[in-house]
Amino acid sequence: METLVSVFADTLLITLVLALAAFGLAIIYGLIGVINMGHGAMLTLGAYFTWWSTRHGLPFAPSVLASAFTVGAVGLGFEHLIVRHFYNRPFDTLLLTWAFFLVATEMIKILFGTDFRNVTPPLDGAIDLGIYRIPAYKTLVGALSILLILGTAFVLFRTPLGVKIRAMVQNREVASLLGLNVARMYKLVFAFGAFTAGLAGGLIAPMYSVDPYMGNTFLVRSFFVVIVGGVGQLLAGTLFGSFAIGGLETVLALFSDQVIAQIAVFFIAVVILRFRPQGVFTGR
Amino acid sequence: MTTLRIPSMPRLTRRAALAGLAATAIGAPALIRSAKAADPIRIGVLSPVTGAWTVYGQAHSRGFELAVGEINAAGGVLGRPIEMILADYQTDQRLVVEQANRLLRQEKVDLLAGTFSSADRNAAGPVVKAADKILLYPTWYEGQIKDYYPGVCNPNIFMFGPEPTQQVWPFMEHMVNTYGKKFYMIGSDYAWPRVTNLFTKEKLKELGGEVVAEVYIPFNTPQYESVLRDIREKKPNIIFHSLTGSDTVNFSQQFHAAGMSKDFTFWTVDDEEVVTSGLGPDVSAGHFVSFDYFMTISHPNNKAFLERYKARFGPDALMNTVGVGMYNAAHMGALAIAKAGKVDTASIRDALKELTFDKAPQGPVKMRGLDNQIVVPSYLMKVRDGWTSVNDMFEEVKSVPSVEPKDARCDLPL
Repeated sequence: METLVSVFADTLLITLVLALAAFGLAIIYGLIGVINMGHGAMLTLGAYFTWWSTRHGLPFAPSVLASAFTVGAVGLGFEHLIVRHFYNRPFDTLLLTWAFFLVATEMIKILFGTDFRNVTPPLDGAIDLGIYRIPAYKTLVGALSILLILGTAFVLFRTPLGVKIRAMVQNREVASLLGLNVARMYKLVFAFGAFTAGLAGGLIAPMYSVDPYMGNTFLVRSFFVVIVGGVGQLLAGTLFGSFAIGGLETVLALFSDQVIAQIAVFFIAVVILRFRPQGVFTGR
Repeated sequence: MTTLRIPSMPRLTRRAALAGLAATAIGAPALIRSAKAADPIRIGVLSPVTGAWTVYGQAHSRGFELAVGEINAAGGVLGRPIEMILADYQTDQRLVVEQANRLLRQEKVDLLAGTFSSADRNAAGPVVKAADKILLYPTWYEGQIKDYYPGVCNPNIFMFGPEPTQQVWPFMEHMVNTYGKKFYMIGSDYAWPRVTNLFTKEKLKELGGEVVAEVYIPFNTPQYESVLRDIREKKPNIIFHSLTGSDTVNFSQQFHAAGMSKDFTFWTVDDEEVVTSGLGPDVSAGHFVSFDYFMTISHPNNKAFLERYKARFGPDALMNTVGVGMYNAAHMGALAIAKAGKVDTASIRDALKELTFDKAPQGPVKMRGLDNQIVVPSYLMKVRDGWTSVNDMFEEVKSVPSVEPKDARCDLPL
């Protein structure tokens, strides 16, 4: 019973945390088709800005928000100056965003140094469920992850802006012929993706090591999440993908060890992609 | 490729230079002019300035740079200044080989120093063997076993960091008697943790202890729930920890967040100043750490050393066992060249053997002739509750002024 509860809680939390980390990528890749190799660097930037702000006396919550907006602004600038000229050339955007990762990582080293940094979690300790203790802060992050995904779903499916974005995703040409400012939509979506990555980076900073390459740990996993779940499937796709890549590892490790579980997870991901290359939640 | 040339004259401010010279009392400004005229002795330094071990790269290269500055300020070696040629191998073993070859062939360096992890050193091993050049290796590592030749058991590689019979063995009896016999071993999946655990298990068996689990984790693993569950189920007394890089931070943070810190004794052979800073005071409090050097040790050499280091690199600059390994490597390399009177490999090798260095920050050290292994002090420290910086991070639990390692498992003498 104890194992069952603990595995369930762990799986749920890791799925939600990974969904949060991958969400920014899911937005940018899924909605406007830019394979954002800079996603990891955006997470890292969010974490470092949060570290920097808390160190300069700002409380944690405003620090994370400020970091998210800053990374959003960085994303907006990057989009405006460079990315928007390459929307028709997906392979070039892949290289450009990889360049963004390289430049951002070196900037982080120059600005913040190469040492490990740490952000103190605003909630310390664990919630005692009687039979099992779950980490308090991780639970909070899990809850925020749900809120973020539901909030985005609300915007996409219940607001005029969402209708426009979906129209743009479905058929860019027709949408623009009908008077939609596609360029502005792309800009908005890219900036929101960057904002989300910055937010995620700030929120996961207290749980993971903050170093110039922290985002890389999540970059590959995030791509798997998005591709397994289905490109463009922001909600179900991201959640299922996160479960398949993150949660499943915890479940499998129960029957084997961490190494085998990690291999098995990526093996399963490959098998899924063999039979559903478009992702689990994308219709043919 | 990033290459940074450190000029033969150290870039010191006048005040820092004076402080440094006063502290070492090895200043001989009159000699500097004559040294400047001579051809420099060129030492290639392989540092992980970028990539996964970036966090260690700074202390690593700075330790060497500080020593080179001191040597040159004191007139260099044989009337020649030392020129340090820094090569960044980006924490990529392939680039270790590439950069080592470049330093040797294009830059024509006289000897090499550096590499960080055992995997990096093992990559450099065949290169220095083929080129017949010396490599001064600074890091704490797994000890020498013939299977890993030519990364170890290589007559051209000199080890300036402690191995397990120096870093771990001196404190095992104390830990087992005080905290219990059941060890849970968790480490990163490569040579250093595996062989370190092999040695540790040997001693543990002697002491009547047992290993309840031995777990190896692939690099860059963000989630540890299943390991934490396994630890709870197997109920060890001591978590014996050899994860590295960001993995050690990720694991320790999740271990702490799961509320497990108070239930287990945590002994790490990895988390020096750099990593412990990354853990923060809450997560790291109470951890046991063992190394040959800590910034907080009270040896008088260390005080003078840190004054010079901070005068040069700022009051917040981190130092650690690897940086000190590089510092000692530079000084002992220079002493060996001075003793030999020549810079060819055979002369340096002979001169390094049995060489002692009294000014080492951790206390006097000696290079063993038998197996090219440094004889160093060893310290067991505990991370203080609520530490605020590296200056009050560790408190001493036990120390041994000089630990002779077990003989290397190679064809001796090297």
